[in-house]
Amino acid sequence: MRAPYLTARRLTATLAALALGLVATLAVTLLIGPSHASLGTALGDPSTPDAVILFRTRLPRLLLAAVVGGSLSAAGTALQGLLGNPLACPHVLGVSAGAALAGVLALIAGADPVSPLVPAAAFLGALGTIGAVSFGARAGGRTAPHAVLLIGVVCNAIAAAGIMLVNAIVSYAQAQGVLFWIMGSLSTQSYAVVGAAALYASVGLVWLLRYSQDLNLLAAGEEGAFQLGVDVERVRRMVFLAASLLVGAAVSVSGMIAFVGLIVPHLLRLILGPDHRLLLPASFLGGAAFLVWADTLARVALGPAELPVGVVTALLGGPFFVFLLRRDLRRGMA
Amino acid sequence: MLATALAVAVAGCGGPASTPGPARPPARVVSLAPSVTEIVFALGAGSRVVGVCGQCNHPPAAEKVTRVGGYLSPSVEAVIAARPDLVAVVPSPGNREGVRAIERAGVRVLVVQDRTLADLWASIRSLSDALALGDAGARLVEDLQHGLDAVRARVAGLPRRRVLLVVGHKPLVVAGGGTLQDELLTIAGGDNVAADVGQSWPQLSLEMVVARAPDVIVDTAMGTEAGGQSLFGSLDTVPAVREGRVVTVPADTLYRAGPRVVEAATALAHAIHPDIGPPSG
Amino acid sequence: MSAVLAAERVAAGYGARDVVDDVSVGVTPGTLVGVIGPNGCGKTTLVRVLSGVLAPRQGVVRLDGRPLAEQPRRAVARRVAVVAQDAPLVLGFTVLETVLMGRAPHLPSLAFPRAHDLVVARAALARLDLADLEARPLGALSGGERQRVLLARALAQEPEVLLLDEPTTHLDLRHQVETLEVVRQLCRDGGVGALAVLHDLNLAALYCDRIVLLVDGHVAHAGRPEEVLTAGHLAAAFRTVVHVGRDAVTGDPIVLPVRRDQARRT
Repeated sequence: MRAPYLTARRLTATLAALALGLVATLAVTLLIGPSHASLGTALGDPSTPDAVILFRTRLPRLLLAAVVGGSLSAAGTALQGLLGNPLACPHVLGVSAGAALAGVLALIAGADPVSPLVPAAAFLGALGTIGAVSFGARAGGRTAPHAVLLIGVVCNAIAAAGIMLVNAIVSYAQAQGVLFWIMGSLSTQSYAVVGAAALYASVGLVWLLRYSQDLNLLAAGEEGAFQLGVDVERVRRMVFLAASLLVGAAVSVSGMIAFVGLIVPHLLRLILGPDHRLLLPASFLGGAAFLVWADTLARVALGPAELPVGVVTALLGGPFFVFLLRRDLRRGMA
Repeated sequence: MLATALAVAVAGCGGPASTPGPARPPARVVSLAPSVTEIVFALGAGSRVVGVCGQCNHPPAAEKVTRVGGYLSPSVEAVIAARPDLVAVVPSPGNREGVRAIERAGVRVLVVQDRTLADLWASIRSLSDALALGDAGARLVEDLQHGLDAVRARVAGLPRRRVLLVVGHKPLVVAGGGTLQDELLTIAGGDNVAADVGQSWPQLSLEMVVARAPDVIVDTAMGTEAGGQSLFGSLDTVPAVREGRVVTVPADTLYRAGPRVVEAATALAHAIHPDIGPPSG
Repeated sequence: MSAVLAAERVAAGYGARDVVDDVSVGVTPGTLVGVIGPNGCGKTTLVRVLSGVLAPRQGVVRLDGRPLAEQPRRAVARRVAVVAQDAPLVLGFTVLETVLMGRAPHLPSLAFPRAHDLVVARAALARLDLADLEARPLGALSGGERQRVLLARALAQEPEVLLLDEPTTHLDLRHQVETLEVVRQLCRDGGVGALAVLHDLNLAALYCDRIVLLVDGHVAHAGRPEEVLTAGHLAAAFRTVVHVGRDAVTGDPIVLPVRRDQARRT
C-alpha cells in the first residue's frame, strides 16, 4: 500500500530513479542501431565513421526523442487532469493539427523539409491555433472544458481537410513529404534543433509544474476547487497554454506522434498515483524514455530500413488504449 | 505480342464493358499518366491525344491538350466528356476507382506498368499495337536500347562508384533494388548501396548513409540544394560528402518510365562520373 | 451578535429562471442554522450563493460586512468551508491526502504539508472516526465514509464559517448523530458559524439554533425550531399532513408524519 501522503522525500526519490532510468535508456539505445558502430573506436577517434554514426546521427536523434516524448507526455498528463478525462490526449487540442497544416503549407511553398523554415512555420501554426481555440472556447470569461475539446475536434477536422486538399493538388513527390507530418519522424542530425526543442520544453514544463497542486484540487470538481481557493479560470487558461506550448513545439520538430501523450500518463498514474506534483515531472521523464525505446524499435525493426516512429507508437498504443478503455468501462469509471 | 495480349487481357478483366479492340484504330486517346503521354507522342500519335492528366508537361505540345484530372485522381467526368476510344493508364495509388468507373462507362482501357525497364519496353509495344502503329513501337524500343547501350559504353572503362539515390529528405527515402531507377543507376556506372534493403523505396536511418559510405549521393528530392547540404553536411566520413559529390539531378526525367530514359541515364552518368565530360545534346 | 456571512435579499438561479428570490439568511458565529424545505425549493442554490460559487442576480452576499465577490478567493477559502452534496472525489487519493487538500488555502501553491498541517488533518480525521482509514484510497471506502471524509476536509480548513449541503444523506443513524454533534461542538466550543441544509426535520429540531423554512425559493418562516416547526407551517410547505409533538423532557419539537388512515381520525 502506498504511503498515506506524498512527501518531498518520496517525490525526489522517485524522480531520481526515473531520471537514472532515462540516462540508462539513452546509454543503452545509443549502442543499438541498424548499422554497427563501436563506442570505443568512436571515443578514441572522432573522425571515424563510428563516431559520426554515434554522435552525429544517433545521439541527436535519441535526445530529440527524449525531449519530444517528455513534452507530449507531460502535456497529456496535464490535459487529462484539466479535462477530468483519463483518456484525453494532447492531439485532441487541435494544436498539433494547426502545426501540421502550417508545416505542410511551408513545404508546398517550396521550403526544404530539412530547413528550419518548416518547424518555424509549424510553430507559428501552433501558436495561431492556440489563439483561435482560446478565443473560441471562451464565453463570458469562462473557458469551458468541453468547449475546448469540441473546438479541438473542429481544428483537427479542418487541418485534416486542409492537408488532404494539399495532397490532392500537389505532385506525387511532394505528397510524400506530407506523410512526415502525419506519421512523425525523429530523425535529426542537428543539435541546434534538439536545443531549441529542449528550450521550449523546459519553459512549458516549468510553467506547468507551477499548477500541479491546483490540478490536484481541480480533480475534486470545479466547485470544490473554487471553494478551496483555486482561481479555476486562471488555472485552466495557464495549463491549457503551457500544454499547448509543449505540444506545439514537439509537433513542429517531429510531426504527429500518436499515443505517447495517452499511454505514458495513464500508466504512470496507475503506478504512482494521482498526485500531479509527482505525476507531471514523472510523466516527462517516463515519456522521454518511452519514446526513445519506441524510436529505437522503429530504427531496427525492419533491418536496414526503418519504420516511421508513429507506426510503432500506434501499434504499441492502440491495443493498450483498447485494453485501458475496457478496464475502465468494467470498473465503471469511463 | 504476348505483352499486348496480356495488356488487353488485363483491361478485359476490368468488366464486361471492355471490348477486345475496335475495328478501326483508336482516333481519340486519353492518357492518364505523364509517362504514357510522352510515349504516345514519341510514337508519333500525338495528334490523336484529346485528354491528358494535369501532370503531363512533356512534350510541350502536350501542355495544350485538355486536362482531365490528376495522375492520382483522374476526373471520370472529364475523361468521358472527351469521348475517347482508348484510355491509357498506369496504376497509381489513387486512380483505381476512377479507372473502374471509366471502364464501366464502356470505354476501352489499356493498363501499362512502369516499374522496370522491361515494363517500359512492354508498355511501348502495347501502346503501339493498341494504336495500330505497326512497328513504330519496336523501333522506338530499339532506339532507346541503343541509347542506353551508348551510356553503358561511355562508363565501361571507369571504376564503378557506390551511389545512393535520394528521393526524399524528411523522412529520408531512397531508391532501393528492383526499380527502374536502380537499373538506370547500374547502366550509368553506379552500384546502388541500398539495393539489398529489400524494399523498393525504403526509409533509411541517417546512420545507414554513414555505414554504407556511398561515393556519390544523387539527390532528387523535392527541396532545395541547400537542404541536401544541411542534411548530409555533417556526415564527413562519407566519401560523397567529403569530396563534394552530393549532386542534384532534376527528378522529371528520372521518375518517368518514358522515352527520356536515355537522358535520365546520361544525367546519372554525369552525376556519377563527372569526368566523362559535359552531356552532349 | 451580527452575522459573519449573510445573504441580503438575493435572487439567483440558472438561465432565465430564478430559483431563489428575495432571500435573506445570515450565519452567526457560535450558532447552527438549519435550512429545510421541500425538494426543489432552492436549498442547494442558497448554499452555492452563500459560498460564492453562484453569483446572485440581485442582492449581495457579505462576509464581515464586505461583499463576498470583492474578496480574494484564497482569503475567503481560509474562512469559509463548504461540504457539498455528492462532491466528486478522486478515488486514487488516500483519505489523508484528500483531507490535507483542505489545508491548501493556508499553504503556498507548491508547498508540501508541514507538521502543523498533518496535526490539523489528523485531528479532523479523529473527530470523524476516520483515523484508522487514513492510508486507505477513497475508492475502497463506502459512500458514508466518503461523506465523512468530505466533512473532515472542510474541518481541516479551520474555517470560521461552515456550510453543509445535506451532510447526512448516506450515513447511518449513529454517524448522522455524530456528524451533527461534531458540527454543534464546533459552533459551541470553536465559535464557528454553521449553516446546514437538512432533510431530517427532527435532527434539525434537535441540533439547530435557528431554522429557515424555504418554500418555492422564498423564506416562508425563520426563527427558533419551535416557532418554525408547527403542523400548519409544515403541512403548507410539504403538502402533507404532519403531527408536531413536544419532547416531554427537553421541549424540542418532534415531527411525525401521519398515516392516511390515521389522518381521517383527527
